[in-house]
Amino acid sequence: MELQESNSCACCAHHYETSAIFCNSCGFPLQGTKEQQDAHIANRTIKEIDLMDLNRKVDAASNSLYWIAGILTVSSVFSYFVMQNDENLIAFLITSIILIGAFLAFGVWSKTKPAAALISGLSLYVIIQLINAVDNPATIFSGIIFKIIIIGYLIKGIIAVTEVGKIKKELNIK
Amino acid sequence: MESYFCGNCGHATNHEEISLYSDKKKNLKLIALFLIIQLVFCVSGLIIENFTLGLTLFFDVAMAITAVWFFTAAWKENKFLLKWPNFSLKKLTGLILLAVTASIAVQFLVGLINEFMFGKHYTYYGLYSQHTYGKYLMVISVAVFPALFEELAYRGFLMQKLLKVVDPKEATYITSILFFLVHFSMISFFWMLPFAFLLGYVRMKTNTLWYGIAMHFFFNLVACLVETYL
Repeated sequence: MELQESNSCACCAHHYETSAIFCNSCGFPLQGTKEQQDAHIANRTIKEIDLMDLNRKVDAASNSLYWIAGILTVSSVFSYFVMQNDENLIAFLITSIILIGAFLAFGVWSKTKPAAALISGLSLYVIIQLINAVDNPATIFSGIIFKIIIIGYLIKGIIAVTEVGKIKKELNIK
Repeated sequence: MESYFCGNCGHATNHEEISLYSDKKKNLKLIALFLIIQLVFCVSGLIIENFTLGLTLFFDVAMAITAVWFFTAAWKENKFLLKWPNFSLKKLTGLILLAVTASIAVQFLVGLINEFMFGKHYTYYGLYSQHTYGKYLMVISVAVFPALFEELAYRGFLMQKLLKVVDPKEATYITSILFFLVHFSMISFFWMLPFAFLLGYVRMKTNTLWYGIAMHFFFNLVACLVETYL
């Protein structure tokens, strides 16, 4: 491939000195063979695709937090009508509001601080399941598929967040 | 202009930063293991119906051993937290006064909330009152052990591991939230979360556990004194 007269990298469009052998911004072999340059672009494209896939996993995990808030809202409304004359109704309502608010807050927070929000959301969700299981062991199996899916999405999301950071460092993007 | 790749050989100049990312998964797994063990203790506390003084002290010791084990497992990277650089009596006194004031306010508010929501007053002291040295055992179990070993576990081990995964602000937030969650009391969020965040903030700013230990001890000690004498 011929050197660019405008001195812009063919891979990342970063300006480079004529004497440069590799691009400072992306490592593109400016004076390499066509095969070397194509291989560099191909590797970079693969990483960008991986990055898109990982960002999708983070988004799916963030959406899980909203799903949890939604399910809690529905079950709380249902339980409210069932518990009408129960002496613990006020305590139940306050706890439900706090939990629903927490998951909504984690969902919003996950847009700016995904690691913190997803770790906190996963911990809170697991603790809720444990407390319910201690109170009534039969609840472990209630909606078990949904629970496994949610926990799976959250764990994948947490791992994806760390991978996203690594790939962004490798590609030198913010 | 910062260069991320060498213009002569094409190698990444931030390869040390990139290599740190490989450790993140390992640290996340250690954090998960720590939390699972904490949850096992906490859930065991829920399952056991008739809690005796002996059982309480057993769990205190077991959790203390766990905290020490995790903290010392990464001794080289954690030991600096047991030093007390730039010790300031003024700072220590100020933080202790803040903790004492906060504890008095919390005890009052929690008492009101318990009366409103449950129609009764909850007390720690009932468990210890039957023993001759009940008051001292309560101070050890409620004030000394949590101050020492929860700080070692959360602001010590957990915070250090989280700092390898996320930035310092996120590490402080996560530590605070997890500390609050393992206490299994959602209604206490209005005081426990800010208190945990303050402990995390002090640890990050001062690079030592000792201010937090002092604050935590006095906060819990005031709770014991209120329980015993009011």
